[in-house]
Amino acid sequence: MATEPRPVDRPGAGPRMVPSFVGQVISGAALLVLLTAHMIAQHFIVPSGLRFYEDVIAWLRDPVMIVVEVAFLVFVTYHALLGVRAILFDFGFSERTERRITLVLWVVGIATIVYGVTLFAAILNAA
Amino acid sequence: MASTIVERGRPAAGPARRRGVLGWFDPRGRRLGGLAFILNRLTGIGLVAYLYLHLLILSMLVQGPDAWDDFVDVALSPPFLALDVLLLTGMLVHGLNGIRVGLVGLGLVASRQKALFIAALVIAAFVALVGALRIFAGE
Repeated sequence: MATEPRPVDRPGAGPRMVPSFVGQVISGAALLVLLTAHMIAQHFIVPSGLRFYEDVIAWLRDPVMIVVEVAFLVFVTYHALLGVRAILFDFGFSERTERRITLVLWVVGIATIVYGVTLFAAILNAA
Repeated sequence: MASTIVERGRPAAGPARRRGVLGWFDPRGRRLGGLAFILNRLTGIGLVAYLYLHLLILSMLVQGPDAWDDFVDVALSPPFLALDVLLLTGMLVHGLNGIRVGLVGLGLVASRQKALFIAALVIAAFVALVGALRIFAGE
């Protein structure tokens, strides 16, 4: 996988996007919106630059914000680990090792999202 | 879509060219696209590290208001604000350069990728400067 499209060598076949590149572009585009929203909402419109505890809890009690933040977590994790995969593949591992790397990164990604969502719930329960 | 086979960014493979990750730091024959490639990877690595650090820090919210508010006080100190500026700059460079990679990869503006890269850096520098002023103004 790479963060750039690769040519296809099949005779008669036109150039084709590598699926991971498409995924990186789509998740990147989503992040442009979600990260901008996250930065503005969590940092730039807050007078002190960071929310204190009560403000964070009030923010997280809004269901819309929960959806936005979870979507942000999913896209940023997917985009980040796809990038890590591209970097690891630059080491020139065998295809078998690359498949294992992909599997491990899927596990890490799902674990990250589960951790994040669980953390949201734990924060609200503790409040 | 014939122009979609572009934007490799890396140095051309060859006997004199070091491959793999170490090749990123090989300055021989480096062009602007290669620099953009390295910059995107380095900022990407930093942002991935920050993602997990951020999740770790957010876990302090479970400990209650004292732990979190104490952290916020520390995070609003100048050294941490400087790190915020660094983070913002990394996000801007990675995001704007990522837009360039996406556009070029989709075959939309392949002939303009150098100009786009320079434009991305200029915009990133400008927004980072404005952001830095905003971040430190709130101190």
